[in-house]
Amino acid sequence: MRAAHLVALISVALCGCASRSIDIHSLPAETPAADNAVAADNAAALAAVVATASEESGRQAAGDTAPPVTPADAPSMYTYDPWERFNRFNYRFNARFDEAVFLPVANGYRRLPGPVRSGIHNFFGNLSEIDSVANYILQWRLRLGVRSLGRFAINSTLGIAGLFDVANKLHIAPALTGFGTTLSKWGAHPGPYLVIPFFGPSTLRDAVGLLGDYGLSYGINVADLYRGVQAWALGVTNAIDERANISFRYYATGSPFEYETIRFFYVRKRLIEDEGLHKKDPAMKRDVAKPAGE
Amino acid sequence: MPASVPLTEINIALPWARPVPDVFWFDRKLRVWFSAQPKPAPLAIVISGVGGDGNTTKLSYLRGALYAAGYHVLTMPSPTFPGFIVSTSTTGVAGDLMQDSRDLYAAMQQIIANLPHNVRITDIDILGYSLGGANAGVVKSIDATEGKLHIHRAVMINPPVSLFTSVSRIDKLFAISIGPGDAGIEALYRQLYAELANLYRASDRVELDEGFMLGAAAATLKTDAEFSAAIALSFRIDLVNMFFAGDLYAGTGVVVDPNHPPRVGYSLEETERVLRGKPFSEYFARVFAPYYLKHRPNSTSKSLIADNRLDIIGDALRTDPDYYAQTNSDDLILNKRELAWLKDTLGSRIAVYDHGGHLGNLGDRSQISDMLDMLAGRWPATGQ
Repeated sequence: MRAAHLVALISVALCGCASRSIDIHSLPAETPAADNAVAADNAAALAAVVATASEESGRQAAGDTAPPVTPADAPSMYTYDPWERFNRFNYRFNARFDEAVFLPVANGYRRLPGPVRSGIHNFFGNLSEIDSVANYILQWRLRLGVRSLGRFAINSTLGIAGLFDVANKLHIAPALTGFGTTLSKWGAHPGPYLVIPFFGPSTLRDAVGLLGDYGLSYGINVADLYRGVQAWALGVTNAIDERANISFRYYATGSPFEYETIRFFYVRKRLIEDEGLHKKDPAMKRDVAKPAGE
Repeated sequence: MPASVPLTEINIALPWARPVPDVFWFDRKLRVWFSAQPKPAPLAIVISGVGGDGNTTKLSYLRGALYAAGYHVLTMPSPTFPGFIVSTSTTGVAGDLMQDSRDLYAAMQQIIANLPHNVRITDIDILGYSLGGANAGVVKSIDATEGKLHIHRAVMINPPVSLFTSVSRIDKLFAISIGPGDAGIEALYRQLYAELANLYRASDRVELDEGFMLGAAAATLKTDAEFSAAIALSFRIDLVNMFFAGDLYAGTGVVVDPNHPPRVGYSLEETERVLRGKPFSEYFARVFAPYYLKHRPNSTSKSLIADNRLDIIGDALRTDPDYYAQTNSDDLILNKRELAWLKDTLGSRIAVYDHGGHLGNLGDRSQISDMLDMLAGRWPATGQ
């Protein structure tokens, strides 16, 4: 029944966007002064990270780490996408759904007072820590697992059920992981590119990872949040919160090649993350002759 | 910088728009951004540079400054932006200074006529950066004849003087810094991939987020050669879209079969790969010139090049005190002769800064305050 309601709602919304010659809608105000301050802070912090990283990568050749990545190791510029027709259909569907339903709702949500939004965002982030702890153990990255566990303990208590990220203030920055990354650690390649309806770009491996993450949360069922009506309410709120924190806009490029561009960058991003994950593994396998991801 | 700038997005279907090709289904309406003052105020219209939409980071800087100075602000895409080519252009073949500016001017009239009724406009000024600067100047000159908007002052920020000299300089930059065609792009991609992967490995980050990417990009683009490559590549990516749209609309058949245009759902990867290897000169020779030679009686390739110089409004620039420009003596899209022409033509109504290259100083305090002085008619200030 719920599914039927959802379908009806979506079709009404999608029809509603049919042709009017002009539409004007207001967006959340821009805040240049605050944005500049944040950008300056970020830039300084990043410059520091990248500077230490550059030094580090100079020294990396020695020791038990894998040799540095060379240009010859880069994957092909082509991407493995055997389900392209299906994916393109989904990409287009997602673009329309985003424009008609998801983005307007997320923009409305962005009008809520900042502290309310960050409370909601922190709450969901805190719930994800449980999944991260489990996956860090599966990945045998115990130091990071302990960090996630510590964050969860601190934020669930001092941070009042996760509404405040107290741990971050104590310089224990968030670092989430998931089952997709665990699969990668176990040696799984990304596999075919996959655009998931409502969700967006992914790969077969990451899609299985998402299912795994959901299965784990469902199994643990913290505070009975993953059953019944509250599960739907939380799921929808979580999705809106996620969307409101992503600045991506479908077809802002205006380009007919946008599908190709997003596919290219998504798969390369995941492959570089794999490089990081396997940096201590000198035998890391790369199939540079095959399309990226295969 | 103001604390808060209200923003609305306007999507408008223009009455003269032609049928939208299947692959451009998402570009049916022109999208512009508008910030309204609560009280009667002058309107500043700002035009984006090559390939840019109406809400680039640079436009956002300018919007903040103009809004704080008391203007309503309307930001518009470049006529070379695919969304503009499809929704607004009357030709579909972008890059002609006069034709593109006419299309812009027509769109501005439609937008202003459809603004909410509580917006009270006391005066209209126009600005633009890079190619948008040249468009702004030409739009003002068209308005001087047609008188539909009564545009008061124009400020051109880092404008080109000759479109074709500028783009051939960019072609040359591409050839030197990246190498010929797609092979050069692949080599650059492989190098950047390796550098990013090594940086990421060493950073101990768990996720490759946007912030890290920006920081890493800044770290990998250390030398002038790498910067040049990045600039050349970003122009090339814009050209790919323009080339594809132009070829499709003009039916010139370079990459798009005029009898079987691509449909939604078709893979465009190979088309994109082929276009990535093509310079501006090829766009001119195989799409732009064939189209305009056919539609403009008595024109020649030479006359098309000459028509795409700021000289076409040279008299107005020389005599009308309401044209202003800002540029840098090290702007890569100008050669010495062109810079001298700008200085000679605009006299005291141009500010030339020593450093900044092409748009590098856009948003700097002196650039912004000079720009606001020009718009308000306070330039040149005493003591300049």
